[in-house]
Amino acid sequence: MVKITIDGREFEAKEKTKVLEAAKSHNIYIPTLCAHERVVPSCLSMVEEGLAVQTNSERVISERKVAIQKLLARAPESPAIKELAKESGVESTPFPLEDHQNCVLCTLCTCVCQEVVGVSAISKINRSTEPNAIPYTVNFDACIACGSCAYICPTDAITLTDEGNTRTIIWPYQKKNFRLAKCKVCGRCWIPERQIEYMAEKSNQPLEFFDTCLDCRR
Amino acid sequence: MENYGVYTARLAPKIDGLAPGHRACVGCGEALAVRIACKAMGENIIVSNATGCMEVVSSQLPVTAWDIPWIHTLFENAAAVASGVESALKVMVRKGRRPDKGTKAVAMAGDGGTSDIGLQALSGALERGHDLLFICFDNEAYMNTGIQRSSATPFGASTTTSPAGKKSIGQKTWKKNMPAIAVAHDIPYVATASPSYPFDMMEKVKKGLAVNGPAYIHVLSVCPTGWRSAPDLSVRLGRLAVQTGVFPLYEVENGKYKLSIDPSPLRPIQDYLKLQGRFRHLSEGMAKQIQDRVINEYEKLKQKCTCS
Repeated sequence: MVKITIDGREFEAKEKTKVLEAAKSHNIYIPTLCAHERVVPSCLSMVEEGLAVQTNSERVISERKVAIQKLLARAPESPAIKELAKESGVESTPFPLEDHQNCVLCTLCTCVCQEVVGVSAISKINRSTEPNAIPYTVNFDACIACGSCAYICPTDAITLTDEGNTRTIIWPYQKKNFRLAKCKVCGRCWIPERQIEYMAEKSNQPLEFFDTCLDCRR
Repeated sequence: MENYGVYTARLAPKIDGLAPGHRACVGCGEALAVRIACKAMGENIIVSNATGCMEVVSSQLPVTAWDIPWIHTLFENAAAVASGVESALKVMVRKGRRPDKGTKAVAMAGDGGTSDIGLQALSGALERGHDLLFICFDNEAYMNTGIQRSSATPFGASTTTSPAGKKSIGQKTWKKNMPAIAVAHDIPYVATASPSYPFDMMEKVKKGLAVNGPAYIHVLSVCPTGWRSAPDLSVRLGRLAVQTGVFPLYEVENGKYKLSIDPSPLRPIQDYLKLQGRFRHLSEGMAKQIQDRVINEYEKLKQKCTCS
């Protein structure tokens, strides 16, 4: 255990935890958008002996407001960012509005695709700050249409919809339809065809194993 | 929400409100449902839990499986206690005795604690408009006392107080439509959920917590002990209940019905019934009766969805 000070109060925190986790476990509110406990591109500062942290000093609050104003300028339509702005009392932004289709470049989707799913279908092109640069590119040949990126996206920039036997995933500036496979017993569409190939390869199961859906499988 | 792939499960929150080591039966759908609900609710809540399976298995003296603030209440007053908690939090924030952390009051009860014994307390809490979330974990009978019938037990099911035999067909009445009763209170959010569709359920619990005002979520939790089904089939039975139309998943936001998962074309009811020992005695005629009723109810629900 190490001793840290948050807002003038002393707390004990486990070694090798992050400051954010330590604050959260003591019910101290720090607004976050893309912090995630399993996939971590952000909020990485670790606790150390004698560390003193402020979460609601005047400077912190004004810096936080500026950060949220910048996010609001970048993705004004995103529900999560609107919510964040409302919580922090930010009503409008002095920065020029830009249209990035809700993407704030948090890189959670690329991390998930690479670390959790293991296909690296989404990758960063560059970190350009130019307004119209496409931040990500999707390799449609590698994508297995699992939807993990849509699930994790904090700002709803990536969406997934199933209709009939097609799944449509929309990324910022990019869109692709995937075919869904049908169960041979009940005839429902239950999984993208590409995902079957990927799972068969990973699990060494024959392709026929995925002919039937989970409910019809004996 | 239901169609996210297998990898998404690895991204679910790590926190576990209901710690391992509780005494629920093997294959308990309710324990699974509570875990999923707790993952969605986070730690900033106060739960009042009515007597029932979940209270019995999770809090045997001197240990507890709960990792969140948790109050055990009587059978009938989970909703009343939760509304008291909500009012107390509000007053303490107003008087400056407590920082406003946005703590939410949650009530949990089984089907007995919701639709039989706890109905008047629930109705009162919904009518007074407390900002609380009520989750009913419906396993379709009083399971922990030995499988006695409740008003949520489906037609034809054999329980110890509605046994099937030469002179009895099992439960003689149809299942009480609890979500419809909640909708009739004109509250902002009502939903049905199933732990077999975890992402859908997590989304609904989050929505229910976020709305300003009372929210009611009805969760079908499979009980292998009382339903006389194999413990490894719990998750599949939950899915079959949805796909046969027995327990369609829908949500009602401010009176607007919306199907969360479209099960059509419906599977034949036998897929669901034949896996459960409590329906083993059913004659073909009764199965047909159930099938007709399920289709009828499903059509009604679809009409409500298109009308609103």
